[in-house]
Amino acid sequence: MQNARYNPPQRIMVKMCWAVVVAALACLTPAARAATWEQPAAELAKQIAALSGPGAVKLTIRNESVLAAVEVPAIQRLIERDLRGFGVVAGGKDSATLIRVTLSENLQGGLWVAEVVEGTETRVTMLRVNLGGATSASGPPNLVVQRALMITQSDPVLDAQIFTVGTLARLVVLEPEQIVTYVRSSAGLAFASAPAGGGWVEDQHFAIAHTRPYPRDMRGELVPAQDHLFDAYLPGVQCAGTNTGAQIAVTCADSDDPWPVSGPIGNQVAGSVGGPSGVPQRAFYNAMRDFFTGVLAPGYGMDLPPFYQASDTPRPTGTGLLLNTVDGRLLLIENNTLKPIAGASDWGSDFAILRSECGSGVQVLVSGSGAAAVGDSLRVYEVVGREAVAVSPPLPVEGAVTAIHANNNGTGATVIVRRDAPLRYEVWNGSALCH
Amino acid sequence: MVRRFVISPCVLWLPLACLTLSAAARTRPHYGGTLRIETQGDPWQMPDGIARRLVLDTLTTVSDAGSAQPALAVRWESQNAAHRWEFWIRAGVHFQDGEPLTSDAVAAALTDVCSRAGAGTCPWRTVRGVGSSVVFTSDSPVADLPEMLAQTEFAIARQDVKTAVIGTGPFRVTGYTNGALTLAANDDCWSGRPFADAVEVRTRRTVRDQWLDLSVGRADVVEVPPELLRQAQQQRMNLLVSRPADLLALTIAPSGPFASREMRQAATLAVDRMALYNVIFQKQGEVTASLLPAELSGYAFLFPSDRDLDRARALRGGATSPPIMLSVSDTSATMQLAAQRLALNLHEAGFNLQVATASRPTVALELQKVHLEATDQGAALDEMLAHFGENGSVTGTDAAALWQEERGVLDKETIVPLLWLPRAWAVGERVRDLHLLSDGEPDLSDASLEGGK
Repeated sequence: MQNARYNPPQRIMVKMCWAVVVAALACLTPAARAATWEQPAAELAKQIAALSGPGAVKLTIRNESVLAAVEVPAIQRLIERDLRGFGVVAGGKDSATLIRVTLSENLQGGLWVAEVVEGTETRVTMLRVNLGGATSASGPPNLVVQRALMITQSDPVLDAQIFTVGTLARLVVLEPEQIVTYVRSSAGLAFASAPAGGGWVEDQHFAIAHTRPYPRDMRGELVPAQDHLFDAYLPGVQCAGTNTGAQIAVTCADSDDPWPVSGPIGNQVAGSVGGPSGVPQRAFYNAMRDFFTGVLAPGYGMDLPPFYQASDTPRPTGTGLLLNTVDGRLLLIENNTLKPIAGASDWGSDFAILRSECGSGVQVLVSGSGAAAVGDSLRVYEVVGREAVAVSPPLPVEGAVTAIHANNNGTGATVIVRRDAPLRYEVWNGSALCH
Repeated sequence: MVRRFVISPCVLWLPLACLTLSAAARTRPHYGGTLRIETQGDPWQMPDGIARRLVLDTLTTVSDAGSAQPALAVRWESQNAAHRWEFWIRAGVHFQDGEPLTSDAVAAALTDVCSRAGAGTCPWRTVRGVGSSVVFTSDSPVADLPEMLAQTEFAIARQDVKTAVIGTGPFRVTGYTNGALTLAANDDCWSGRPFADAVEVRTRRTVRDQWLDLSVGRADVVEVPPELLRQAQQQRMNLLVSRPADLLALTIAPSGPFASREMRQAATLAVDRMALYNVIFQKQGEVTASLLPAELSGYAFLFPSDRDLDRARALRGGATSPPIMLSVSDTSATMQLAAQRLALNLHEAGFNLQVATASRPTVALELQKVHLEATDQGAALDEMLAHFGENGSVTGTDAAALWQEERGVLDKETIVPLLWLPRAWAVGERVRDLHLLSDGEPDLSDASLEGGK
């Protein structure tokens, strides 16, 4: 048996995150580091002075938090300086007043505790300290594809796509309970109110009403529409987004309509529109589970097993439909024949077809299957004959890839990555990288 | 983080936590199958019975950071300086028998909880349904009510005519035969149908039997007591280890031989926590003299945990001690060993202790293991104080005020916190995405099985 797996980060991970913050702080100059603690040191000195009154004291300080040891002398100097401002002079070794300062922490952040000991009496004061916020200083995921971080947010993301009307590009983010639209900030920088990354600023948001409970493994998809801007598909719910001039309007309703599975590739490759038979295919989604039932409309006249994802893929003879089944097989419908594809045992549940200027020009971006001992990964494959051939090494992803959707133009993919401690969702735009 | 005496919790948990961070689910969870869990205890016991969490929901839940999150209540508001609270009930939720969840049903369930638990247990004076909301009123402010309502003690339940417990949770009770409680997935659960079709809870299984069943594939999730964690690691079990979740504490009745505070203080100073930590519990958990884990309060070090035998002897004086009975709330061999170790400690200070083989209603000393469910500082302190029959008056996250409150209680020398212990579980290879709740209990509703449909 293997050691612990699957358990999400426990509280210790919060401390690890702080450790990252502290490490980042350690990279600051001494002056900058000292400035970080100016305010809390002053406040604690004020509280201590209120308990001890003026006079000589013996001051000790110890660190029981994730603060780097190098920080402690600076903090002590600040506290001593600020105490002097209140007439409390540290350094009296024989003083009857002992002040013990402990740099502690709890779940809310840093907690600086001062004990003022005079004889048998001990008085205590505490100060909550911001250790810098629980934001990771670690770098972006090391993807095998060209990538650009679009947004980061704490709420779950199901899909995100950019829709352009005229010259205005809008990023539409599909969440389980709402659709949020963003526009580029004029300064090109992320506003404080916007999720980190990409320079997008929130524009509009629309609640998604649904009468039935969602499944636990929530999925959703944004698809460009023919006669309006986009459709959003969620389990049991369909929304339509329309452009109303400067703004977008979204309407949602319960729906069991099938989801489109003929992706952008099929819609854009000349002579191969919409699946092997040239007709756009749609698939019925099981609104209480996390997969498609296997029933397609109009279908191919054959029984299909339940599958997680399906997408058109150009083939030498036209267009095929690639299916990733619930039982872990990769199938290809080509020339009205269902064929198993070998070499996909390492595939996760989600994939996207990419057009590129590399290799055959069409690749499949796939997440890892979890068979590897550690971490998630992304890898690019080409389907050659009846075999999926890896055309890139697997590259690790920090976090778990929760969804991959082909972009509207088919040249890239939206990759959703969930990262923990703290929980956040990153939306990346990925595309195949030519060497 | 380095704490007094204790290094091993971080040393132990850090590699485990690292593995769990990096090993996230990549293929989608499969539906189907029966998840089999074995326990030593009663699945319905308060507050941590495994079945309670599967069948019942609470109005709120708490995040890892301890703040209240919506569950059966979608939002809430305090009024009149936290003397009045209004919670709005989630629409469209049904009990497992199809009855809709209404504010009246919630109020009735909570009233039932209070009447069963006895007066004074519930922090409110009245609770009633008003339209789509439930209104609580109390004589004193209850700032932490949203966090408190996340505790399973306040889970929303109904009893049907066959006295089966009915809730709104992800599983419903289908039977109890031969020591096995069977639960089936609630397809209409408001929080989503669970991945497993069923859960089978085999109760009152010894740890030895549980481990055997896990090794031969008859169980998927089994218990690992803290004192056996090292052994489980050596056997390369797939382990989930929680933060500190159980407080080992000695309670001293302020009467009879311990009527004077000096005698109670002498007993407190005589206990050797390090011996318990090193020998009995195999260096698991953390030594404490506080009612809250160090990571929750940040001030646990303010309560000294050192043994001072000389002072204990001096406080006790030289008088001959009458025989004093030490009772143990838990009949497990480990708790008996811990009690015997404590008896030895106190004997060295001049007390004449005898360990009772079973819990007795009126004894001078009792060794208890107390489960902590809350993760909000104020609610956690309230929970612990309520367990020990004390009334807390401070809520919120003002650390200094909470410390004052706790110090006031511990200064009575009637409660002697000894160790904070983690909870641990060993998990079979076919289980995916199982994680522990903040109080160390496994969250089976989000777990799935390899090979499920």
